[in-house]
Amino acid sequence: MICKILLITWMAVVIVAAFFYAGPATGFPGETSRIVFFHVPQAWVATFSFLLSMVGSLLYLTKRNPGADYLAQSAAELGFVFCLLATITGSIFARATWGSFWNWDPRETSIVILLMIYGAYFALRSAVPDEERKRVFGAVYSILAFATVPFLVFVVPRITASLHPENTMSPAKPAMDPETLVVFLGSLLAYTGLYLWILQIKIRISKIESFKKPNIGQR
Amino acid sequence: MFALTTLIAVSFSIGSFRIGETEKPFLYAVLLWIILVFSALSGLSRSFVKEREAGTIDVLRLSARPQAVFLGKLFFNLTLLLALESIIVPLFILLMEYKIESFGFFAAMIISGGFGLAAGTTVVAAMIAQASARGALFSALSFPLLLPLMITGIKGCERAAIGVGVTGWPEVKISLAYVIIMITMSLLLFPLVWEE
Repeated sequence: MICKILLITWMAVVIVAAFFYAGPATGFPGETSRIVFFHVPQAWVATFSFLLSMVGSLLYLTKRNPGADYLAQSAAELGFVFCLLATITGSIFARATWGSFWNWDPRETSIVILLMIYGAYFALRSAVPDEERKRVFGAVYSILAFATVPFLVFVVPRITASLHPENTMSPAKPAMDPETLVVFLGSLLAYTGLYLWILQIKIRISKIESFKKPNIGQR
Repeated sequence: MFALTTLIAVSFSIGSFRIGETEKPFLYAVLLWIILVFSALSGLSRSFVKEREAGTIDVLRLSARPQAVFLGKLFFNLTLLLALESIIVPLFILLMEYKIESFGFFAAMIISGGFGLAAGTTVVAAMIAQASARGALFSALSFPLLLPLMITGIKGCERAAIGVGVTGWPEVKISLAYVIIMITMSLLLFPLVWEE
């Protein structure tokens, strides 16, 4: 309980700080650079979530423990939601900065493929009637799809040109001024906390649902 | 058949004079790859469904090791795709008057692309044979996996047609790397999908 109150307070502080404490970055039209406090943490959470989903899948294939599958599925669903949020906010930013909602910049391409992969993952899960097969297939597909990610991250961007502001993509490069960096890291923390909280609730829901259906967890 | 129909539709509606000379290499590469990928998607989805419908899937499970079954299906798909390509690609070149500067590169790109299409879809075909709504699901599952290959293939064919940047065959190397990764992953994952 105390954690939730702290998290909500922290989130509120971050949102206020994002608009009033940190100044707009140079090189962007107007106030658009403030998107970094929301868009980048969303993208980070989505990536982190897909990684967790992948770990859950691997664990399930080795241990055949339903808990690992709850993690894989819940993380994939949440990652999908955050990925969608990142796509929408990014698209609004793209409209404000580059003049069009969609430009097929490599990062936009890879996010669309990510959404397609996980959309297919959910379709596959819902199309297999048997519970255990469903879990195995989901895990196999998510691992197979993960194997193509290096191509999207390293190969495709090299054969096409990018529009993304590079130094806002990785906080390691010291291109932000100190106030911006503090708010940005605070926002990352807030989003990660929020994510872990929702994830925990989702996993609990999956467990409760599994009690409603017979023959799960007994195989 | 699907491949031929699309090819004829494309050739009929676009012809070889509609597209400007400067845009030809790129647009033709895109069209060719769309035909290849979608005919692969429509043809290869059958490879395991066939076994299931004929009732031979259980015998296959009993009599052969999973890796052997996988490799057998992979080579079958590969042969099918290479046969398809050997008909479609020359026809496409003839009908569209596709001028290619670096022919070796182009051929290598198409062949390695065929390997990639077969490698990326075989495990998916094994999965959908045990699911409902097979045809639609196969395309939905395979397309994201094939997209990196498709982007590489389009770029490679475009370069081959222009004849710029073809030393060392960079795109062929990328797609061969894709083939190796996909086959390795599939060999590891296929037994899990195959077991009952």
